[in-house]
Amino acid sequence: MTWVAWRQHRMQIIWGAAAVGAMALFLVPTGLGMAHTFTSSGLGRCLSTVGADCGQLSDAFDNKYRGYSFLIPLFMMAPVLFGMFFGAPLIAREIDSGTYRLAWTQGITRPRWLGTKLFVVVGAALAGAVSLAYLVTWWSRPLVAQSASRFRPGIFDLRGVVPIAYTIFAVLLGVAIGSVVKKTLPAVGLTLVGFAGVRLLVEFYVRPHYLAAKTLTVSLVGKGGALRRMGGSIWVIRENTIDRLGHIASPGGGFDFGYLAARCPAVAAQGPFPKGPVGAVPGTPDPITACVQHLGLRDMTVFQPAHRFWTFQWIEFGIFIALAIGLAVFTIWRTKRLS
Amino acid sequence: MSVALEASGLGKRYGKRWALEHCSFELPTGSIAGLVGPNGAGKTTLLHIAVGLLEQTNGSIRILGEQPGSASVLPRVGFVAQEMPLYKSFTVDEMISFGAHTNVTFDLPLARHRMEHFEIPLDQRAGSLSGGQRAQLALALAFAKHPDILLLDEPLASLDPLARREFLKILMEGIADSGATVVLSSHLLTDLERVCDHMMVLARGRFRLIADTNEILKNHKVLIGPRERAGAISGVEQVLQQTTTDRQATLLVRTNGPIIDPAWMVNQASLEDVVLSYLDSRSATDGPEPELHAIRTEVAR
Repeated sequence: MTWVAWRQHRMQIIWGAAAVGAMALFLVPTGLGMAHTFTSSGLGRCLSTVGADCGQLSDAFDNKYRGYSFLIPLFMMAPVLFGMFFGAPLIAREIDSGTYRLAWTQGITRPRWLGTKLFVVVGAALAGAVSLAYLVTWWSRPLVAQSASRFRPGIFDLRGVVPIAYTIFAVLLGVAIGSVVKKTLPAVGLTLVGFAGVRLLVEFYVRPHYLAAKTLTVSLVGKGGALRRMGGSIWVIRENTIDRLGHIASPGGGFDFGYLAARCPAVAAQGPFPKGPVGAVPGTPDPITACVQHLGLRDMTVFQPAHRFWTFQWIEFGIFIALAIGLAVFTIWRTKRLS
Repeated sequence: MSVALEASGLGKRYGKRWALEHCSFELPTGSIAGLVGPNGAGKTTLLHIAVGLLEQTNGSIRILGEQPGSASVLPRVGFVAQEMPLYKSFTVDEMISFGAHTNVTFDLPLARHRMEHFEIPLDQRAGSLSGGQRAQLALALAFAKHPDILLLDEPLASLDPLARREFLKILMEGIADSGATVVLSSHLLTDLERVCDHMMVLARGRFRLIADTNEILKNHKVLIGPRERAGAISGVEQVLQQTTTDRQATLLVRTNGPIIDPAWMVNQASLEDVVLSYLDSRSATDGPEPELHAIRTEVAR
């Protein structure tokens, strides 16, 4: 049966391997080039120096490699492409073309038939996904090193182990949908929609809650110092300016002129665009600073610390693998009683 | 007598429509049964239930004494589905390898030999075979399992008349020595009467007649006689069909004894006439047929 599964799906597998190969042909030279620039320009050394301002070097690097950003959607799509081309047709096409009547009346049971096909197709997708995930993680290292956060969408979900789990999930989602809708093209379309839905749901509603977020409250005056010390790669989930009682004074952080003007006459008198540098008179705080201190405004940041990156990767990996296993069990049950 | 295929109160419903209803029968081992009925009668539904592709809504069915589709019975059942589905991109030889890889016992040399015999090149794509070649390949795959029961769903539909004859000949030769039971469905009776020793007549999801063909011929007669005496005739159980002219009546009847009334000329009925009369006479009413039971017990005897 392994031979049959290979013979049936070899075109997809060969095309998949070719696509991954083409990707490698592009990523290896450009990745080497980026890594070289990263070191030779001094950006790497700068970024690893605490407190150094690397803005200029970073901008130069970004300008040089901005063109590669078109790859991000491609990397995002890669898992679902496996789902659409490897997964969705696996059962749907057999039903579409009527060959299920041949396949399911031979000497082996349907669970074994399905199990072998899954083994071959998921195995091939796994090989592709591992290669791609490794390549992309390696390739994007210089880009990520200067990024605000490794948790950012478009970074977290393209690197490490999660793309592998997405791929396995996408393939089994395709197979399961195919076993329900029984037609290849609708199954392919629904796989895309279903995958995008689950990914977005997890990305925006589930991922922030893997571990209880930490909260850091700092005085608004001289703001940012504590956060900066924690390194640039924390994941800020939300940031607000709060008053003494903890009520939100300015959603999203910073000052809200109207809020201050309503409470401090000096601020209102000064107007929203004071002439001259704010707080320029030494010894006497400017009206805004005085008002902020008077109201006891503080900045509250809810965040996930940078060191949780791998914990989050493995949690998300586990979630998608568990979903994939659930889909596999469903599909075997479904195929047993399909008619 | 051992039974190869038996059903009791079998029914299959699609939504609100019953594709198959109240089906009860026993098909003896070694019989060659023709499953006859118009398109949409439920033939494919019955065969798909028998091989485990479909699940019945109610009633029970046993094939070779086992649950259809179970791991132990699958290797013993050969099935050729309607339109003979094959993997179009596979070569003939790859289709044969498919059979060898998906069956515990598979007679690879037999399948290859048959292809050679019919001059079908092993490296030709299955998708480019002619209707006749397709049928031969599908049959070879089924034969190579050496099945104890072989079910074929409209195998002749895609063949021209000459190829039909050839196909039936090959089929009969192939199973002659094995003693396998065969169920062959067709919407054309003429295809089947040459080879079948049992007739299963299905219309609108119900069996109208299930009997040994010899019994059918023995128990059905065509009577020609005076019109005014077409009432009760001794030895006639039921009049199935009646055509009358001014003076003469021609009756197709089922008998329950010898017809001794000299007013009637007794002729042999053709199998086709009998089967068609069962398809026609019951098509108006879909009530239960008590007389069917009598015939069935005869088959089972």
